[in-house]
Amino acid sequence: AVPQQKVEIDDKIALERIRESIQLDPSLSWTETLVVSYPETIEVDVDDDLNRELAFYKQALHSANAARALAAKHSFPFTRPNDYFAEMVKSDAHMERIRQRLLDEGAGIKRSE
Amino acid sequence: DVDETEIQPKKKRNKQRVLLLSSRGITHRMRHLMNDLEALLPHVKKDSKLDSKSQLHLLPELADLNNCNNTLYFEARRHEDLYLWAAKTPNGPSIKMHVQNVHTMDELKMTGNCLKGSRGILSFDKAFEDTEWGRLTKELFTHIFGVPPQARRAKPFIDHILSFSILDNKIWFRNFQIMEKDPLQPNGPPQTSLVEIGPRFVLTPIRIFEGAFHGATVYSNPEFITPTAVRRLERQEKGMKYGARKDAEEESSKRKE
Repeated sequence: AVPQQKVEIDDKIALERIRESIQLDPSLSWTETLVVSYPETIEVDVDDDLNRELAFYKQALHSANAARALAAKHSFPFTRPNDYFAEMVKSDAHMERIRQRLLDEGAGIKRSE
Repeated sequence: DVDETEIQPKKKRNKQRVLLLSSRGITHRMRHLMNDLEALLPHVKKDSKLDSKSQLHLLPELADLNNCNNTLYFEARRHEDLYLWAAKTPNGPSIKMHVQNVHTMDELKMTGNCLKGSRGILSFDKAFEDTEWGRLTKELFTHIFGVPPQARRAKPFIDHILSFSILDNKIWFRNFQIMEKDPLQPNGPPQTSLVEIGPRFVLTPIRIFEGAFHGATVYSNPEFITPTAVRRLERQEKGMKYGARKDAEEESSKRKE
């Protein structure tokens, strides 16, 4: 069999045109989209799990702080007050299982010491 | 007086609604990933499975019926490969991606939690700005994963962040809870820390089409190898090993005779 050469398509002009056609109005307030750009690229070894996750964590942390500053500028409520309760993404039963597992792990480590 | 009730400049709104559905033949893990996305994004409308994989042209119509202007379509192949179509309906563009390394929120390793329906911050790394397809993807993801403020079930506070990073030509998705206080020092100075909520997954862009689920290809990823091809190569290698071993066995038995 003849190895097939894949044809690369990268139609920059069309991509730009499409992007402009769907672009949100640039005059939209930041609070409508909540998008933050991280000013660095992530350059770590893909197979190095620990450093890779650390890089993602750093990106998210930087963005979270930037977002808080932006929210303050737009006088937009950010932090949830302590007395505001509502349904969470993970149920209480699930969180209890997570807590139990953490406790079990901690106990296991202590036992082995 | 007509002049006093002059039309005020209407405040501009970001109006987005996303139709979320899958093809037939998805596994439990894929279904859980879909449910996670539905829980995280309050502007998502989930629909029942699409019957036919060859009739993607029905999707824009379906989105229109549900008043959605975006579609996320999970396509399962061979009960193991998962593809994700992210499309702007009805006029396009659409991106087809391969989904790998899925971890759902059910896993006990991710200890974070957030309000159901709170609006997440979207974080994109700089690599999205470096390529034209990256910029388009960023724009599209902003529409799909960004929760508009007037989404019906949206909560008024922010407690989680969705991060998208490009590494090794793939898009890595993570979701973190934003903790304002250190749980070990409740009275200490406020310091932000993050706890992962999940889900996580990696997307490999395959193609970008001009229309919604059809149209001319405007970008294709030359590095993408289909998972079937990867498996075939693996099997071929195994077969070659086996063949070599059999040949050697035959040789040695001949020599013994």
